Amino acid sequence: MTQTSTLLSVRDLSVHFRLRRGPKDSRNVRAVDGVTFEIAKGQTLGIAGESGSGKSTVARSLVQITRPTGGTIYLDGSDVTSLKGRRLKEFRRRMQMVFQDPYDSLDPRMSVRDAIGEALSVSGLPGPRHDETVEELLRRVNLPASLARRYPGQLSGGQRQRVSIARALAVNPKIIICDEAVAALDVSIRAQVLNLLKDIQHDTGVAYLFISHDLSTLRFMADQVAIMYVGRVVEYGTSDEVFSRPLHPYTKALIAAVPSVTTRGRTRLKLSGEPPDPGNPPSGCPFHPRCPEAVDQCRLTRPELGTTDEGQSVACHVVLSRHGRDATRQVSP
Amino acid sequence: MSLVEPMPETDAVVVVDSLSVTFPSDEGVAEVVRGVSFSVGKGQRIGLVGESGSGKSLTARAIMQLIPSPGSVSAGEIRIAGNSAALSTANAPQWRGTTVAMITQDPLSSLNPLVRIGVQITEMLRHHLNYTRTQARARAVELLSAVGIPNPPRTLRQFPSVLSGGMRQRVALAIAISCNPSLLIADEPTTALDVTIQAQVLDLLEEMSATHHSAVLLISHDLGVVANFCDEILVMYAGRIVESGPTDQLIEDPQHPYTTALLTSVPSMTEALPERLVSIAGSPPVGGVAVKGCAFAPRCALAQPRCFEDEPALRQLDVSARRVACHAAGNATWPSRFQGPS
Repeated sequence: MTQTSTLLSVRDLSVHFRLRRGPKDSRNVRAVDGVTFEIAKGQTLGIAGESGSGKSTVARSLVQITRPTGGTIYLDGSDVTSLKGRRLKEFRRRMQMVFQDPYDSLDPRMSVRDAIGEALSVSGLPGPRHDETVEELLRRVNLPASLARRYPGQLSGGQRQRVSIARALAVNPKIIICDEAVAALDVSIRAQVLNLLKDIQHDTGVAYLFISHDLSTLRFMADQVAIMYVGRVVEYGTSDEVFSRPLHPYTKALIAAVPSVTTRGRTRLKLSGEPPDPGNPPSGCPFHPRCPEAVDQCRLTRPELGTTDEGQSVACHVVLSRHGRDATRQVSP
Repeated sequence: MSLVEPMPETDAVVVVDSLSVTFPSDEGVAEVVRGVSFSVGKGQRIGLVGESGSGKSLTARAIMQLIPSPGSVSAGEIRIAGNSAALSTANAPQWRGTTVAMITQDPLSSLNPLVRIGVQITEMLRHHLNYTRTQARARAVELLSAVGIPNPPRTLRQFPSVLSGGMRQRVALAIAISCNPSLLIADEPTTALDVTIQAQVLDLLEEMSATHHSAVLLISHDLGVVANFCDEILVMYAGRIVESGPTDQLIEDPQHPYTTALLTSVPSMTEALPERLVSIAGSPPVGGVAVKGCAFAPRCALAQPRCFEDEPALRQLDVSARRVACHAAGNATWPSRFQGPS
C-alpha cells in the first residue's frame, strides 16, 4: 500500500482503564494495547475477535467516545488523536459510526426526517434544502421517501439500520465505522444491508472499518483483516491471506469454529477454555493457556507482531520462528 | 422417514400435530404459528430454522405449554409418547423438566439471579427424583463436572451473575439434563456466545444428549449451526413449515426458494465469493398478518400469479423424505422468472 492512498493510520493505540472493584482492589485493564493498522481510501478493514478482545473499544476510541490513553491517530495525514471543541466536531464529520443496535442509536422521539436532518444541519446545509436531501439519502439506502415521516418504533430492524446508514452518509464522511452493524439483523436482511454498504462504497469511495464477530461477513466485506485477542492484534493481513492461509493458532481456531453448511460433519480444531479476563491476562502470550502449539517461551514473553516471509503479520513465537524474518520489529505502517 | 409417514407413535418422543398459536391483535386474531406438524423420534436431533417472527420459538414454547399470555394454542395437539393428556398445564410440574426440558438463549434470564447455582440444580433432583440433600449435592457436582465446569463445589456456592455466558449455558445444560428428559429443547442456545465457545457448547449438547438418551429440538436462525448438529431440518417462514427433510438433502438440494435464499445469503467461508450476495428483497411479513396465497410470494423470484392466490400445501416430494410447501417445487414446466400477474 502506498503512503499517498492511506486515509486512516493508527499507531500504537492504547486504551487503559482503571478498574476499581473495592477499596483495595484496583487494577489496570488494558482494553486496547498497542494496536497499529491503516486503512486506504475506499477500502475496508475488518476487525474480528471475541467479546473482550477490545474491537469495539478500538472503534469508540477512534471517534473519541472513549479517549485513547496512548498512541496516535492520523486521518488524511493530520494528527486527530486529541482534538477538542470545534475541531473535534469537524473531525467527526469525516468519521462516522454505525452501531449494532439501531433501537438504541436512533432517538425514538425523532422522526426519520428529523434524525437525518439533524446530521444535515451539522454539515451546514440550510434548512429549506433538508427535505430534498433527506429524500435523496433515503433513496440511496433503498428506502421509500414516504418513510421520512415515520418514527423509529414504526420501522423494522433492517429499515432502522438503513436510516442509521443514511444519517452517517448525510455528512459525507471519509470513513464509516460499522460496529457489529449487521449483527442484529436476520440473514436475508443482513445480505441486503451488506450489498448496500458495498454499493455505497463503490459509488462514494467511502472507507469502512468493519467490526464483527462474524468471520463470514468479514470475508465478504473486508480487503484487510485484523484479528484481535485480549486487546492486541494477533494477525493482520489481506482478507485472502488471513482466510485462506491463517497462521496464528487463534485465527485458525476461530475460522475452524465457524459452523458452515459447506463444512458440516468435518471434525474441527477445537479450542478449550475461554478468553481471559482483560483485567488479569495470563503471563507471556495471552493465548498460551488455550493454544495447542504453545511452547515454554509463550508462557514467559509476549510475542510482538512480526512479519512473516510471506508478508503477513503475526504475533506468535512459534509461527515467527518457523516463517518469520523479523520477530522483534513492530509492523511498520 | 419420520416426517413423511407419521411414525408409529410409540417410537416418537413428541408428536406435534397441526399446531396453531394465536395472539389477539387489532384486526382480531393473529395466527403466528399455522398448522405445524412434525414428530421427534427417540434420540433424534431435529433443527428448526427461521428468521425472527417465523414462529420457531413459539412452537417450542407450545410444546412446553409456555405460550406467553395473551397468546394461546388455538388448534392442534401435542402428544408426548402417544399420550396427549400427559402434557397439560395442570400437571406441568410432573413432566416439565423430566419428560421435556428446555434451555434458552440467555441463561441469565432463565436462571434465578438471587439463588445460588447449587440450589437451582439440587431442587430439580430433590423434587423430581426424591434425592436427599446429600445425594442431590453429590449428583450436582457430577453434573457440573460433566459439563466442564472447572471447580464444581465452588460453582455450587456462586450466583449466576459471576459466571461467563459460556459457563452459564453449561450450568443451564446441566440442569436441563439432570432428570434425563426424553426431549431437550434448545432455543438459540449459542446465539449469545462467542464462536469458539459456541463450538464447545454444541459439542457438549451433542455429548450430553447422547449419554442421557435425549432427543434434541434445536432452534436457531443460523442454518450453519443446525446443519452441523441435526439429522433433520425444518425450515419455518411466517408461521408455517415451508420445507423439511434430512440435513444433507435439504442443504445440497433445497426445493423451496426460501431455503435456497437462506443458503445463498450467507457468505461462504471456503468458496470464492461473489461481488454481491444473493439477497431476498423485502422483509418477512409481520407476525400473524393474514396473507392471501403463499406468504413468501412477494419476495420470491419464482412467484407466478397462482402463488398470490392459493397457498401451497406442505406436500411430500417424490418418494424422498422431503416435504415442501411450494407450487414450483418439482414442477419441470414452471417458468424460471416472474412474468408479472397478468
